[in-house]
Amino acid sequence: MMLLAKAALGIGGTLVLAGAYTFREGVIRVDVDESRAGGSHIHMWVPAAVVPMTMHFVPKHHLKDAAEQAREFLPVVHALFKELKKFPETDFVEVKDDNEHVQIRTRAGKLQIDVDSPDENVHLLVPLSTLDDVVDELEASAPGV
Amino acid sequence: MSYTNRGFITVTVLLTAAAPLLAPVGLRAQAPSTPAKAAQSTSSAPAEKGERWLHVRANCTDGKGGTVRVNVPLEMAEKVLPAVNHDRLHNGKVRIDSSDVNDVDLFALMDAIRTAKDGEYVTVQSKENDVRVAKEGNHLIVHVLDKGGSKKSQVEVKVPMKVIEALLSAGKDELDLVAALHALGAQGDTELVSVKDSENTVKVWLDSKSVAE
Repeated sequence: MMLLAKAALGIGGTLVLAGAYTFREGVIRVDVDESRAGGSHIHMWVPAAVVPMTMHFVPKHHLKDAAEQAREFLPVVHALFKELKKFPETDFVEVKDDNEHVQIRTRAGKLQIDVDSPDENVHLLVPLSTLDDVVDELEASAPGV
Repeated sequence: MSYTNRGFITVTVLLTAAAPLLAPVGLRAQAPSTPAKAAQSTSSAPAEKGERWLHVRANCTDGKGGTVRVNVPLEMAEKVLPAVNHDRLHNGKVRIDSSDVNDVDLFALMDAIRTAKDGEYVTVQSKENDVRVAKEGNHLIVHVLDKGGSKKSQVEVKVPMKVIEALLSAGKDELDLVAALHALGAQGDTELVSVKDSENTVKVWLDSKSVAE
């Protein structure tokens, strides 16, 4: 009985720590709703810490291709995300008319992009640190590095 | 110590160790070790002292009635711009050639204005347009009133001379945007561009608030 309790405690503790590590960076939230017939409805909550970990398992040549295509923009994006971290609660862009509403802002250290239009609603919430990690990974994968 | 107590203590230790990891990013950002900047850049609070923001506001009152609001910290623009290397923009500088400005020596022209005294340099008044270019209190002011079009537009541009000097500081064939932004940051609250017609208004201004009123 005690052996079972110890095993349960060990598993429980491991799960708590693994869960804590996984969610410490927050979650990535993606919501896409297309209004047209047969349109997509995507609702995703992904622990942000999973993304950099997953990138380690992506075949190198895929990362290299992606890095090659994004090479011109990587330094800009890197600089941008680094600066965005200094402004964790800021409204940067808002475009609004009768039909559409687009907002780009930071909330609690996350980049939040909201698009509401008659055709589709897109809501994206990504921790800036995760975006930075992804850019780091791509930069490291760029040819010639 | 009984097995039950030992188990309880182990769980407590594990949870205590996990607690900082479980704390959301926002809470960690406000820890005493980090500066108060995070809290001060909120959309409702005034920006950190010394922080300068460039705002763009465009309102359209036609059928769709659109509004565009852009708020950019100058510091961010200064840091990000040098990273952009595309076409003629490199390291925060834009390369220009004489054909871009119809063979007018922009640098000589601006240098002449910079060293000249305050005054009205160009005044054009016609049935279709009124144009006024002047230097007033270390600002270059351009005022255009288009009376001919159906929309009757009015454009006002007010640029501090320091900014123009910084813009031209890179040399003959380049405009130094980063230096201009840096010089702009040293200016007080000011309205830089205002465009108005019967349907649209566009305003570009500089202040120390992180959000446009």
